[in-house]
Amino acid sequence: MKPLVCILRTDGTNCDLETYAAFAKAGAKCEMVHVNQLRSGAQKLSDYQILAIPGGFSYGDDIHSGKILSVELTSFLKEQLNSFVSAGKPVIGICNGFQVLVRTGLLPRGELGVISATLMHNDSGHFECRWVDLLVEKTNCLFTRGLEERVLQYQVAHGEGKFYTSQETLAAIENNSQVVFRYADPATVQPTMAYPLNPNGSLQAIAGVCDNTGLVLGLMPHPERFMEPYHHPNWRRTGFTEPHGLPLFRNAVEYAAKSL
Amino acid sequence: MTIQEVRVTNLPQVNDPGGDGLLHTIKTFLAIPSVSRIATARVYRFEGITAADAALLAQNLLAESIFQRYTVNQPIIENAAKLVEVAYKPGVMNPEASSIMKAAADLGISNLLAADSSTEYGFFGAVTDAEMAVIISRLLVNETVERVVTEKPATLLISGSPAATRIIPIRAMDDDVLMAISKDSLFLNLTEMRTIKEYFTALDRDPTDCEVETLAQTWSEHCGHKTFCAQLIVDGRPKEPLLKRLQDATAQAAHPLVLSAFVDNSGVMALYDGLAICGKVETHNSPSAIEPYGGAMTGSGGVFRDIMGTGKGARVIASTDIFCFGPPDMPAAEVPEGCLHPRYLLQRVVAGVRDYGNRMGIPTNNGSLHFHRDFRAKPTIIVGAYGLIPVKDAQKGRPQKGDIAVVVGGRTGRDGIHGATFSSGEMTHRTMDVNASAVQIGHAIEEKRMSDALLQARDEELIRAVTDCGAGGFASAFGEMGADSGVKIHLDLAPVKYPGLAPWEIWLSESQERMALAVAPEHLDRLLAICRSYNVEATAVGEFTGTGRLEVLYRQDPVCTLEMEFLHHGLPKRIMFATGKQREEQEFEPGPPADWGRTCAAVMGHLNVCSKEVIARVYDHGVQGSNVLPPFGGLTGSAPNDAVVLAPAPGKQYGLVIAHGLNPALNQIDPYAGSIWAATEAVSNAAATGADPADLVLIDNFIWPYPDEESLYDLDQAVDACRDFVQATGMPFISGKDSLSSTYRSRDGAVIKIPPVLCVSCFGRLPDVTATISADIKGPGSTLVLVGKRDISHMGGSAYFDLTGACSPQVPQVDLKALPAVLKAIHLGCQQGAILACHDVSEGGLLTALAEMCFGGAAGAEITIPEGHRADYFLFNETTGCFLAEVTSEAAAGELFAGVPHLVLGTADSSRMITIRQGGAKLFQIDTATLFEAWRKPMGEVFGA
Repeated sequence: MKPLVCILRTDGTNCDLETYAAFAKAGAKCEMVHVNQLRSGAQKLSDYQILAIPGGFSYGDDIHSGKILSVELTSFLKEQLNSFVSAGKPVIGICNGFQVLVRTGLLPRGELGVISATLMHNDSGHFECRWVDLLVEKTNCLFTRGLEERVLQYQVAHGEGKFYTSQETLAAIENNSQVVFRYADPATVQPTMAYPLNPNGSLQAIAGVCDNTGLVLGLMPHPERFMEPYHHPNWRRTGFTEPHGLPLFRNAVEYAAKSL
Repeated sequence: MTIQEVRVTNLPQVNDPGGDGLLHTIKTFLAIPSVSRIATARVYRFEGITAADAALLAQNLLAESIFQRYTVNQPIIENAAKLVEVAYKPGVMNPEASSIMKAAADLGISNLLAADSSTEYGFFGAVTDAEMAVIISRLLVNETVERVVTEKPATLLISGSPAATRIIPIRAMDDDVLMAISKDSLFLNLTEMRTIKEYFTALDRDPTDCEVETLAQTWSEHCGHKTFCAQLIVDGRPKEPLLKRLQDATAQAAHPLVLSAFVDNSGVMALYDGLAICGKVETHNSPSAIEPYGGAMTGSGGVFRDIMGTGKGARVIASTDIFCFGPPDMPAAEVPEGCLHPRYLLQRVVAGVRDYGNRMGIPTNNGSLHFHRDFRAKPTIIVGAYGLIPVKDAQKGRPQKGDIAVVVGGRTGRDGIHGATFSSGEMTHRTMDVNASAVQIGHAIEEKRMSDALLQARDEELIRAVTDCGAGGFASAFGEMGADSGVKIHLDLAPVKYPGLAPWEIWLSESQERMALAVAPEHLDRLLAICRSYNVEATAVGEFTGTGRLEVLYRQDPVCTLEMEFLHHGLPKRIMFATGKQREEQEFEPGPPADWGRTCAAVMGHLNVCSKEVIARVYDHGVQGSNVLPPFGGLTGSAPNDAVVLAPAPGKQYGLVIAHGLNPALNQIDPYAGSIWAATEAVSNAAATGADPADLVLIDNFIWPYPDEESLYDLDQAVDACRDFVQATGMPFISGKDSLSSTYRSRDGAVIKIPPVLCVSCFGRLPDVTATISADIKGPGSTLVLVGKRDISHMGGSAYFDLTGACSPQVPQVDLKALPAVLKAIHLGCQQGAILACHDVSEGGLLTALAEMCFGGAAGAEITIPEGHRADYFLFNETTGCFLAEVTSEAAAGELFAGVPHLVLGTADSSRMITIRQGGAKLFQIDTATLFEAWRKPMGEVFGA
C-alpha cells in the first residue's frame, strides 16, 4: 500500500504543489490538508504516515518567519503532533516548514513549545534565490540514507535562513550528529562560511538538521525543486543519473511503506 | 483605552542586517559619514489588553530569547544620538496587524481590540539634525504612506461616520464650473462633462456624487481607452482607430492556437493535454512614482488578479518585471520637484515586486531594466503575469439573470480612491500632495489564499463569471460584469476595513486583493463554505437583474442609477489629430576607439547593458518547481539567458517560453523602427531558446506621453509597426494595454516627456522543454556563427553612441522579410541539437553577446571581423533579430543556415580571453574577467552586493 502523506497548508503556503508532486513521484499518495481541517477535527494527523510542511510564507511570515503557524500548531495541535512523532512517523519541513519546525521546538530538540534554535534574517540582509552545494553529513537521518558524504545541489530561496542557536545547543546537536546538511564549497567539498556559497551566514554552515531520532528533518534548501533532471540550472552541461531531490523523498516513502 | 507597547531588538552579540543595510545606503548613496552604527527595533502596540498580556505576547510571539530581548512600555535602544520611529499613516492598513490579532487569539488573549507594528531606528555617531532630516526624507519615510511617530497614540482604532451622498447640481453648471470639478479628480474633458450634464438634464434631475464618479471612472483613459478607440486624423488624413488596427491584424493572422484575444483579462492560447496558457502585462507607473514599494506591490497584485480572473479562473505560474528609471547616480538636484530619486525608486520597486511575488509563490523569472535621463520625472513600471487554465474553463463567463453578485477577498477601505482617473492624468509637482490616497500597501497573503479558494471553486464548477477589482473597484468590476444583464448592488453589505466610508468611496475604492463573482443561487452556500475554509471572506452583495440598469443602494437608498447603455456607450467618440514633427537630424560619429579594452568594458558597464543578476536573485524564480531555464545560468550561475522556460505540469515535458523586448532610446528617436525593434527583440529572445516561431503570441504595452498631436503621431507610428510585424511574422497580439500619461508638468509649466515605451511581451508553447538550449558556451572547439541580417552602419540609440557622445537619427532597421526564415533556422538548429548555445544580439551588440556567452562557459573565443567594416560598429551595433550561435562545426553551420544571412566568425576555446582579429591581424584581446567585473559593477553598487 502507498503511504499517505499529509501536505500541510495554510494561508501563504506556496510550495505545496511541488512538494505534493515530489512525494507522489517518490511513490506516495498525497493529500492537501489545511490547518483549519486539523483544528476543526475534519482531518486527523493520525490518519497519515508522513507529514510534510512545505515552503512559503505562512501568514506572511509576519513577526518571524513561520511564527504564526508555529503558535497555531503548538496552541491547538500539540497532542496530535506529539503522538505523530512518538509513533515514529517521518516529518519533513522545507524552508518555511523548517522555520515552523524550529519555532514549534520540534527541531532540533524535539520538545514542542520549547524553542532552542532560530532561523534569522540572512546576513546579507536580503532574500536570496540560488543553487547551492550541500554536503550530506553522516547521521541517523532517515531522509538521507545512502546519500551520506555526497554533495547534493538544491536551490535555496529565502530571506530568513541563518541557523542560529546557543553554544550549548550547537554543541549538543553537533555531538549528537543532528546536522544533516551543510553549505559547501564545491572546490574543496568542505563546509563554507563564504557568501554566496553559504547564502545566509548560518552557524557552522548548517543548512538542515534532524531530531535525535532522525525521523524529523528540517532544511532551508528545496529538494522538491530538483525532481527532474531538467530542473537543474545546468542540466544542459551536466548529465544526471538521478535528480538530487528524488532519493530524499523516496527514503521516507519506502520507510513508511515498510515500517508503518 | 491604554495602549501597551512592546519593543523588540536583537541581542548585542547578534548582528542587525536591517541596520547594517541602512548604514551602507547612508554612506554610499547619501554620502553622510557621521553615522557610525544603526540599531533597529520593532515596536508593537496593543489596545484593549493589560501590560501582563503584552508581556505574554512578547515572550510567546514577538521576541525569541535566543537572539532577541524585549521591553514592555519602556524604551529599548539606549544611548543613541537620535531615535526615529517610522510607522504607516493611520488608515494605511498594515498587513502585519491581522497576523498579530490572529496569533494573540490563538494564544488565548481574547480582548485585544487592535494592534499595530512599526520600526524604530537608533542612530549612533555625531549625526546632525540636518543630516537626520535628509536621512528621514530620502530613505526612511515616504510621506505618502508613512510618518515619523513622535508620541504614543491615544488609540489604534479608526472611527468615523460616513458622509451622506451628495447631489452634484450639474444642470446649473457652466463650462468653467464643469471643468473646475473635473480637474484633479475626474480628469474628463469639456465635451465629456457636457455629455453628462445633458444626460441628467434630459432625466430632469441632478446626479449623485456616486453617479458622476462612476461615469468618470468608466470613461477614464485608463478604463475607456479613449485614445486607442478615437477616430484619428494623421497629418490631415483619416486613419483607423489604433485598437481596431491591432485587433484586425490579430484577426487576419487567424492563429490556430489562440483561444481568446483582447476580450478577457488576459489573452489565452492552447498548450497541450487540455490545458491553456494565458498572459497579461500591466503598467503601474503613476502609483509607483509616488510610493514605489506599495505601487509595485499593487502592480504585481493587480496583474496576478487579471490571470486569476481570466475565463473561470487561472492559476498564476510566472511573473515578469520590466522597469525604466532615470540613472541611479543622478545628482539629487536634477530630480524634478515632486518626484522621487531614481535610485530610491529602483530599490523600492524591486522590494515591492520581491515581497509580493515571493510571498504569493509566483516565480519572477524574466525581466529587464532600462535607464534614460528622461525617466527622472516618472518611471515606467511594467509587470506581467502568466497562467495555466483548463481549456474548458478558458472562456469568459456571462452572468445570468438571478445570479448572485459576490465579493471575495480583502475588505474595502479608502485605498486608491481615484486610481483610475489618476492614472489617466499628467504627473505634476502637485501629484504627491493631491493624490496621496491613490496608493496602498499590498497584502500578498490575502491574494494567495483567495487564489487557493477560487481555484477549488472553479474545479467544483461553482463560478459562472469572475473578474478582478482593479482600477475603479466595484464600479468597474460589477459595471462590466453586469453590462449586458444589469446589476443591483447593496453597498452596505460589503465588508469594510473601518467605519466612515461614504457610499461612493465604497463603490470606487481600489482596495487590493478583491475579486467579483457571479454565482448561481444554488452554488452560493458551497462557494461561501469553500472561502471560509481558506480564511477568505466572501459576501453576497447583490444580484444580476436583467433590467439593463446599474443600480447601487446604500441602506435601501439609491445612490447610483444609470442605464448600462449610457454608461458603456454614452462616451462621445473622440476625433483626435496627429501631426508629425521635424525630428533632430543631427549626426555625429565617434572616432575609432583609442583603447579597445576600456571601450569594451565601458559598453558592458553601460546601465542598459550591465548585469541585473543581483535583482534576479532577490526574486524567487524557482518556486512552483517548474523552472527549466533560469534567468541566470552557466557554470557560475551568473550568465544571462534570453528567456525563461517553464514546465508547469509536474512530470510533463511540455511547457512554455516567456520573453520580452523594448528599447525606449530607439522609440524616442524613431517610434516606428523602435517598435519593430521591440517586437523583434521579444520573439528573438524566445527563439534563442529554441522555441518554434509558429507557436508564439504577443502582448503589447504602450507607455506613452500624454497624446498631444506630436506624441499621438509617434503612437500611430508604433501601432503601424505592430500591425506590420504581425503581418510579416503571423504572430498575433492577444492582449494589450495603453498608459498615456508619461508627461510631467512642473510648477513653471516646463514639460518633460518621458521616452515613449512600447514593450512587447512574447509567450508560447513548447512540446518538449528538453529540446531547449541555454546561452552559455559549451565548447571548446565549437564554431561561432552570426545569424541574421544586420544593419551595421546604423548606430543611433546604441549604448556605444551614448558612451562616446555620438548621435544619429539612423537607428538599426530590422528586415522583416528576412526575419521569419532566420527564426525558423534557429528553431530547427536547436531541435536537431546542432546549436549548442545561442544568444540574441541586442543592447551592447555582438561583443556583449559573445562575452555573456563566454562568462557562462568559463570560455574564450577568437573571432574575425570581415574587412571593410568599422570594427567598433561591427562589435557594438544593436540590430536585433540576429543571433550568435555556437554550432558543433563549420560544416553543420553551413548546412543549417543555408538560405539565411549568416557569417562564421570563429571558434570558442577555453582561454577565457576574447580575441578579435581583422584584416589578417590581431585587433585586440581582452580577458573575460575584466569584462565581467565591469558588467557586474553598476547594479552591485546600487544593491550593495
